Parts: sequence; C-alpha cells; structure tokens
Amino acid sequence: MRSLKVITYATLAMTVTSAQLAMSQSSPSLEPTEAGKAIYKRANCFGCHKWHGDGGGGYGGAALSLRATELTRDQIVETVACGRPGTAMPYFARGAYDSSKCYEMSRQDVGDQIPPEGGVFLRGPEIEAVANYVMDNVKGRGDPNYDECTSFFGKVSRVCDAFKTAPPTGASQSAEPSK
Amino acid sequence: MRSQLKAMLKSIVMATAALAATYAVMPARAGDQVTQERLLNSDKEAGDWLQHHKNYSATRFSSLRGINKSNVKNLKVAWTMHLGGVEGGGMWTHGGLEGTPIVENGMIYVTDGWGSVYKIDARGGKGTLLWKMDPKIDRDWAGAVACCGVDNRGVALWGNLVISHTLDGRMIATNKETGQVEWQRQIADPEKGETITAAPLIVKDMAISGVAGAELGIQGWIAATDLTSQKEKWRTYTIPGKGEPGSETWKDDKNAAASGGGSTWITGSYDPAIDTVFWGTGNPGPNWDSQYRPGDNLYTESSLALDASTGKIKWYFQYTPNDPNDYDSVAENVLVDLSGPKGNPLKLALQANRNGFAYALDRTSGKFLWGVPFVKKLTWTKGLNQETGKPVEYDPNTPVQRYDAAVTPHRDNRVTDICPGNMGGKNWPPTAYNPSLKFWYIPVIESCNRVTVRNAVPEKLKPREFWTGGGPNNPFRITGSIAAIDVATGKIARKLDLPFPSLAGMLATPDLVFTGQPSGEVMALDAKSLKKLWEFNTGGGVNAPPVTFTVDGKQFVAILVGLGGAWDKWFIESTPELKKIQPGSMLYVFAL
Repeated sequence: MRSLKVITYATLAMTVTSAQLAMSQSSPSLEPTEAGKAIYKRANCFGCHKWHGDGGGGYGGAALSLRATELTRDQIVETVACGRPGTAMPYFARGAYDSSKCYEMSRQDVGDQIPPEGGVFLRGPEIEAVANYVMDNVKGRGDPNYDECTSFFGKVSRVCDAFKTAPPTGASQSAEPSK
Repeated sequence: MRSQLKAMLKSIVMATAALAATYAVMPARAGDQVTQERLLNSDKEAGDWLQHHKNYSATRFSSLRGINKSNVKNLKVAWTMHLGGVEGGGMWTHGGLEGTPIVENGMIYVTDGWGSVYKIDARGGKGTLLWKMDPKIDRDWAGAVACCGVDNRGVALWGNLVISHTLDGRMIATNKETGQVEWQRQIADPEKGETITAAPLIVKDMAISGVAGAELGIQGWIAATDLTSQKEKWRTYTIPGKGEPGSETWKDDKNAAASGGGSTWITGSYDPAIDTVFWGTGNPGPNWDSQYRPGDNLYTESSLALDASTGKIKWYFQYTPNDPNDYDSVAENVLVDLSGPKGNPLKLALQANRNGFAYALDRTSGKFLWGVPFVKKLTWTKGLNQETGKPVEYDPNTPVQRYDAAVTPHRDNRVTDICPGNMGGKNWPPTAYNPSLKFWYIPVIESCNRVTVRNAVPEKLKPREFWTGGGPNNPFRITGSIAAIDVATGKIARKLDLPFPSLAGMLATPDLVFTGQPSGEVMALDAKSLKKLWEFNTGGGVNAPPVTFTVDGKQFVAILVGLGGAWDKWFIESTPELKKIQPGSMLYVFAL
C-alpha cells in the first residue's frame, strides 16, 4: 500500500511536469500575447526594435519598424528564423543555413552575407508566438501610447511617464534640473 | 509601575548611548577628511588610490615598487568578494562592472552597475564588507535609455562623504563611516534620455559631473555641484544655444543643435596651476547622418578647457568636425609636463581618441602639437594635417565633411565599412602614463565595422528615443592591442597584440603595466618591452581598470570583474568567443 502511494505521487509529479511542458509548447495558441511578448523580451527583439517595435537607430543598427512593416505573418516567421542576409537582423532558428536552408540558401550559398546568430535559439512554436505577438500587438499600430507601455513594462517604473502627457517639443536649454 | 517603566526606559536609553559612544565610529581624524589639499597631493599618499584617475593629471601611475617585474610572476589571488548589481533593466539583460576602485587607509570603495556603493575593509589580508548603499535606481526607466550598458565607473571622496552618481541621473552623498545617504540631487534627467555613468571629479569643494545620451538627442553638459551648499554652481553646455558662440557651426534649418549630443561621460582632469578642468565631448546627434547637421558641430568631438570656478570655456580643440563616424572624443586628457627640444617647458594634454589617433595639445592654449595613429587599420582619413591637427580632407568652407569619401557614411554612401569601427580606436577604458619612461599606454581596439545610414527625420525626434541616423553592425573580427607611445617623440615605441579588444584600461607602475581582457585575463606586462610577465584568468569578463595600493604596508592589485558595457550586446558578433562569458559581479584582489 505504502509503495503504491509513492508510485502514485511520482506518476502524478511526472504527469504534472509533462502537462506543464505540453502547456508551454502549446501555449502560443492559448495565450499568444503573453507568450510572444515574453519571447520578444527574452530574444532581445526589444534591443533593436525597441519595446514598441518602431525600431529606429542605435547601436543595434537601423532596425526596421515593426509597426510600419508590411510583412505577412509567414514572412515574419521566416525573418525571425533566418534573419536577413547582409543586415544585422539575426537568425534565431537552430540549424538555419545548416541543417535547414534559408531563402533556399545554405551557409555556403549565402557566404559572407550570412546574418548574425541570435543571442538565443528559438524553437518553432516560439517563433510562431513572437510572430503572433507582432501581428496582434505591433503591426499597423499608430504612435505608442501609455496603455501599450504599461502593458509591456508594468506600472512600477517611471518608464511610461513620457506617455502620460503630450511629449515636450525638444530639449530646453534653459530648464533648470529639478533638485 | 509607570515610574519603574520610565526608569527602565531611561536606563535603556543611557545604556544605548553609552554603547553608541563606545561603538561610535572613531571621531574623524583630520587625516580622514578628504580635503582639496589631499587631492592636490594624492600621489604623496603612495599607498592610496584617492582619485578616479589616481591624480588630477589622470596618469593612473602608482610609484609602488613592492610588486615589480622580478616578482610579479608570483602574484596570486589574495581574496575576492562577490558584489551585486547583475540584474537587468530596460533593454539590458544584466549589469556589469566598469568601475575604478578608490582606496584610502585600507578601505576600498567600489560601485556596481546599478550604482550601489560598497565600502570594504581590506585590512587583515581579507575583505570585509562594512556597508552597502543601494540607491534603488528605477531600473526600467534608466535602463531603457542607457545606450551602452548598466555601468557606474566609480565614486569620489570629499570630506567625510562618498560622492557617487546613478544611471538615473542623481548625485548621492553617502556618509563614509555609516553608509547612510546624507543628501542627493537630480542632475541629469532620464525623461530627456540623459543618464550618468562616469565618476565625479572633485575640485575645490565642487563635484563635477558629465552626462550620457548623445544617441538619444540630448544636449550635452558638464555641471559643478557645490558640495557644501549642495546647489549647482555652474553648468556648461557642450552644444551652444541659438546665437551663442559656436552656434554658427550648426548650419541646418531644423534646430539640430537642440538634439546635438556632445556627451561628457568620461571623468576629466585638472591643472591647479591654471585652475583649469579638461573634459572631452562626444559625438554629435544624429550619429551617422551628418547631412542632417551641416557645419563643424561645435563643441562635439572636442577637448574643452574650462575655468574650474565658472565653467567658462577657455579653449577648445575639435578632433573630428562634422563627425560622420560616431568617433566620440569623450576620453580623458592626461596632463604631462616635459622639457621641449630647447629646454622650454611643454605642458601637454594627451588624448587617445576614438578616431584612432593619439593627440598631444598644449594645454595652456589648445594648440595642436602632434597626432599619431595607434591602430593598425585607419581608413576614414588619409591622415592629419601636421600644422592644424585636423584630418587632411577637412575643408572649413564645406558644411558636410566627406573625409575619405569612398568610406565615409553619407546619404550617398549608405552602407560602408569604416576603420576603426565606431567603437574605436580607444573607447572609455583609460590610458596610463609612466613619467620616468615617458611612455603613454593606450588600451587599443583594433576594429572595422559596417555602418548603414538612415535619414534622420525631425518627426522621429522624441524624448527617450534613439536619434542616431542609422547604425552599425559588426561582420568583421575585432582584436586588440596595447600601444606604448613615447611622449617625448610622439611615436609608437612598442605594441603588443592581444586576441580581444582592450576593454579594461591601464595601470602603470615604475616597471610594469597592468590590464585585462574581456576573455577573463588580468595581466602584468613589462613597462618597457610590453612582454607579458604574469597572467591570471578570472573566469569572467574583465572590463574595468586595475588599481594598486597598500594595506598594512603590503601592496595589492585590485580589479572589478563583471561582463558589461556595450560589448556583449552591440558588438559581440565581432568576437563570437565572448558569447560564452557569463555575467557576474566580483572584486578580485591580488598580492605576492
């Protein structure tokens, strides 16, 4: 009886664990926004495309605006998986240009135009999740606003204060720093 | 009952007071207060490292000889300490360590990337943390507008206070004994994209601060806070306002100067004989769209000589007018006195510039004396005019400078490779100078990278948004070196190639130089030959400068180790092996 109990708990633990695994793998279809947003942060899409996806400049390169993009969902998936040759957009799929071709090219074909390797590798469902996130929350949106900002960062920080009121027109040289 | 309680309370209070009196920190002896007198003579306290750059001349030279070229091979880890500040914020996944430790009377003061200040008792052959002051930075707020890492380059000592900055733009004064914050003031405004990463410079009871943010369209400045009144004494903008001297060098119709950059995020130096502070200024904004801002863009890419009392600009020298390459000139000015060829005294200000040239100016006048390339590959200009010190292609009558037009980023040359890359040359890591050998040691990044120009558009100029006119990527391998320049001749005397870019900075002693590599090594080189005499792999990313000091008569070398800064985010493709280096936060202390 005692040993049966132990086995049962063990089985339960394993079931729970694999259920969690199953959930995380299928969560993109359950909660596209949260899963995709998490990947947007973890894979550092944020660093170049910025939290609002509008891209711009910076040391990450002249990242394109995901708000203004005309890419389809499938094209976004491909771009995340394979990067963009000749640019700083990295590839995030393990084996890109090696075990699977990208844009019909192998590593040899793409040569020195091969994009950088992403800081993390993303699995298929993760790439789908972040593409869903961009399609649902970023593409086609107008100027970023306070609600979008707090949805990304939460409300604890001052980071979204700039969106509370109309932004100032530019640096004011005569402004005294607050004491 | 009540009177018993009262009596009991009274005796408790008295006992506590007695206890407090016993454990009260020793009343500050005159020697414990850091005064202007001590700062002027900081090198006389040979066992201390009292100032960020060691002394007002920024030589980072220590006269200590206990550790020397005969015995340095026996240098070992004496003790280590883990610090905090590794967590991320904003766009940064982790903080890092770029700080220079300050050491006074056996006490070490260091900062982590999020601005916590640690006081460590180094006596007795080990490190004991006495207190930690955590400024509780709003991490997302500051981290979203820090272009180049969560870093804090160190503290300054004044009176009985430890003066520090925070990434979110504050100056904080912490009681040296108790670790309690006595006051703080907001100097920089992250709402405008301003952050602070540099250590303060203490001059005549003022703390002088610089600002970062030229990638976010700020207007740079240098500010002096009166440490007695805690009020701002002066603030000198590096970008002139409308109608002010220098405004004629912004020839656009878009008010580019309002977002003109000119950051000041490396601690300056000071010559008390002429009461002058020397400070470098950074790139104009937008970094790579020089056609948006035709004109020389004063006072970006310059060294400024400021009257210490008023902040007024006495002279300026601009290294790269209308800079198209993001070649910040923020670097420290090392002040060196030599005898000229005719026995005349030469008072120099040396700067190893991002653009790959090492310059000597006459620091009394700003006159160019010499400039020499210190990198292997330099393609952005054919060289310097030996009279003016400007790049030979510079044409004062042309508003937009093309330099070597075949490689210079431009709206007509949108994707191009430049050498050195925009990271330099030399970046923030400091140089050091040996006054006997007259060798000036430069931590070199041997680089090229690729720039893509995007037209800057006024509608895109918003507070806290990047304003760079495009950006770089890094398809080329980047390595490093140490260059020793003989300052008497203005020529490179010696060079040591290194596998990785120099991201740590230099320490010079009578017969050694110390530095580090981001792959983990701390090393000691022969000061003359640059032959490596000792090396230790810390297992972490070394991107902070080493210091040396004595405690109880014994000499130590200390260095902070914790991968950080811009490299592992923006430039890592050029050094793929460094992807394996994990974030961390440690103080390493070495001794024989």
